[in-house]
Amino acid sequence: MAILNHLTTTCWKSFQSDRLNKQLLYALRALHKSAASEALGISTTGEEPIPDRLIAPADVGEKTRVKNLKDMPGPSTLSNLVEFFWRDGFSRIHEIQMEHRKKYGKIFKSRFGPQLVVSVADRELVAQVLRAEGVAPQRANMESWKEYRDLRGRSTGLISAEGEDWLKMRSVLRQLIMRPRDVAFFSDDVNKVVDDLIRRVSCLRTEQSDGATVLNVNDLFFKYAMEAVAAILYERRLGCLENDIPQETQDYITALNLMFSSFKTTMYAGAIPKWLRPILPKPWEEFCHSWDGLFKFSLIHVDKRFAEIKGQLQRGEEVKAGLLTHMLITKEMNLEEIYANLTEMLLAGVDTTSFTLSWASYLLARHPHVQQQIYTEVTRTLGPGTVATADDVPRLPLIRGLVKETLRLFPVLPGNGRITQDDLVVGEYFIPKGTQLALCHYSTSLDEENFADSLDFRPSRWIRKDTTDRVDNFGSIPFGYGVRSCIGRRIAELELHLALTRLIQKFHISMSPLTADVKAKTHGLLCPAAPIHLQFTDREN
Amino acid sequence: MSLVTALGRLAHVRLRGYSRRTAAASWGAFLTARRSLTAGTQPLRSDNKVTVHFINRDGEKITVKGAPGESLLDIVISEDLDFDGFGACEGTLACSTCHLIFDEEVYKKLGPVTDEEMDMLDLAYGLTDTSRLGCQICLTKSLEGMVARVPESVADIRQSKDGSS
Repeated sequence: MAILNHLTTTCWKSFQSDRLNKQLLYALRALHKSAASEALGISTTGEEPIPDRLIAPADVGEKTRVKNLKDMPGPSTLSNLVEFFWRDGFSRIHEIQMEHRKKYGKIFKSRFGPQLVVSVADRELVAQVLRAEGVAPQRANMESWKEYRDLRGRSTGLISAEGEDWLKMRSVLRQLIMRPRDVAFFSDDVNKVVDDLIRRVSCLRTEQSDGATVLNVNDLFFKYAMEAVAAILYERRLGCLENDIPQETQDYITALNLMFSSFKTTMYAGAIPKWLRPILPKPWEEFCHSWDGLFKFSLIHVDKRFAEIKGQLQRGEEVKAGLLTHMLITKEMNLEEIYANLTEMLLAGVDTTSFTLSWASYLLARHPHVQQQIYTEVTRTLGPGTVATADDVPRLPLIRGLVKETLRLFPVLPGNGRITQDDLVVGEYFIPKGTQLALCHYSTSLDEENFADSLDFRPSRWIRKDTTDRVDNFGSIPFGYGVRSCIGRRIAELELHLALTRLIQKFHISMSPLTADVKAKTHGLLCPAAPIHLQFTDREN
Repeated sequence: MSLVTALGRLAHVRLRGYSRRTAAASWGAFLTARRSLTAGTQPLRSDNKVTVHFINRDGEKITVKGAPGESLLDIVISEDLDFDGFGACEGTLACSTCHLIFDEEVYKKLGPVTDEEMDMLDLAYGLTDTSRLGCQICLTKSLEGMVARVPESVADIRQSKDGSS
């Protein structure tokens, strides 16, 4: 969502700055390309009309002829505008990615108004771009997020921060939650949430006449993901999986829903020029309102924990060492930075995990023989009724394969963004510093060249014969790669592995007659276009 | 495996303190304990150190010493070895920039490779059958005199600032 949001932001902003840019261009074109890009760097992110933007890369073309952006294929500005704004291409952005890949090749350019986006739809080229990254890569223009935070006197977090601010917080947080063996500590906490998930499935299906169907499983998995991520981040159970959800938790869910349901409006929120806000106040107001709700939730829970720790210390009681406690006591980040990061991490950690769980169970229901194969592996490895922990996951390669294969077919983020921080040559094209790139993960993960029978659901394709057996190379990188990859990756994997293992152990999952073929749509993230209803029948253990 | 268990035990350590100050101190001690566990628990006596020969991208041999338990990435950092872009994610298994190549015999002695490391190795440039990530290799006495080769650099798509590319 962030990426799209900010592409649009830049569109609007650059609309305004176009005139200024044009004045600069004559001067710029005469300059050496690096110096020019440097100068352009301050106006950032490809805000200039393309033809004018091009600076002849005469001095980089000695080895192979390097082409200009002008020579790069891509849809015309008008057709792109019609596709996205008229025919609602935003919800089909993943399909358009595939169509354009077929039509224009591995690398192509698109225009969203004045915003130029260079799409990279080839795994080798994606690898080249990500391997050339510096210490603090930038994903997209995050100005509207930053503006909200400035307005409210809040800090930025890992999604909204850039440069040194970002690096400072990332360095702290990656040492806490990125190493798999550190994240394994949370195994027991997550398993308690899985207990509740299983109970909830049993409870929900009794509400249906067949005693087996759970309607709209994503609603259930949303609550699981929120409960699990909060158990880790806030060291607190929220009660999402209870019959009566506590009011403040319900408020948060409302704020989160507002954030996503008003996605299209909020997408333009930061994008609409400030002077237009008195006339068109609603999008920006909603944007701020949903952020207020999300921040409020973090404030409540962080402050609560802070007060608890203080009280415990004053009374000389034991303080149990969890993630938030660690952050509050070590003060490697200040309180505002903790609020902001917990807010952004919770935001990023709920839908992503729930969509993946929804797709995974949908795929298992659609492919009973695969489900049976995984069930056999799980029962054979663990024995009946044993609860798996993080330490067991390495012995469940098909569970890992299931998660990888689900994310290959339905990558939550169908594309990711990078703003180039150097002049690059990608696929024979000279790409000036400050260009917005879209890395087309959806298209590379469904590419036949990367994955044979790419539309087939085959978790076993990820099984290695031995430790030197290489499975994939940049075709499917749902969590990204490198220093700006998903900070919550290992937490998400733990939540997915433990939940899926237990669901498969306990239930036979099958399609409900209420659900036919479910397609994906892009709504910021790649999500099910229709509710998924599934049947959960007890396995005989 | 014992390391994992030990770390697991430490995670459940409960801290006792009578003021924030002491709590912070205890927490610090907790972290130090964790770090030194990661970095090995043996005393840092020099006679106990392990010699490692790195071969850099220019083919030069650089000989350094590290304590048992330290990772090869720890040594590259503590010895300030200048391998461009090495260890970008600081040993958190989010990249593969600390990729190193070993001789067959050394490779066999390096200990088990985790799934997460293999996934990251899939994304390493210039991968070989005897490749590992430096952040995952901890020194032991049996690795004395080991050679670790830094693979050739990625063909850099960045255009250098002076335009000489």
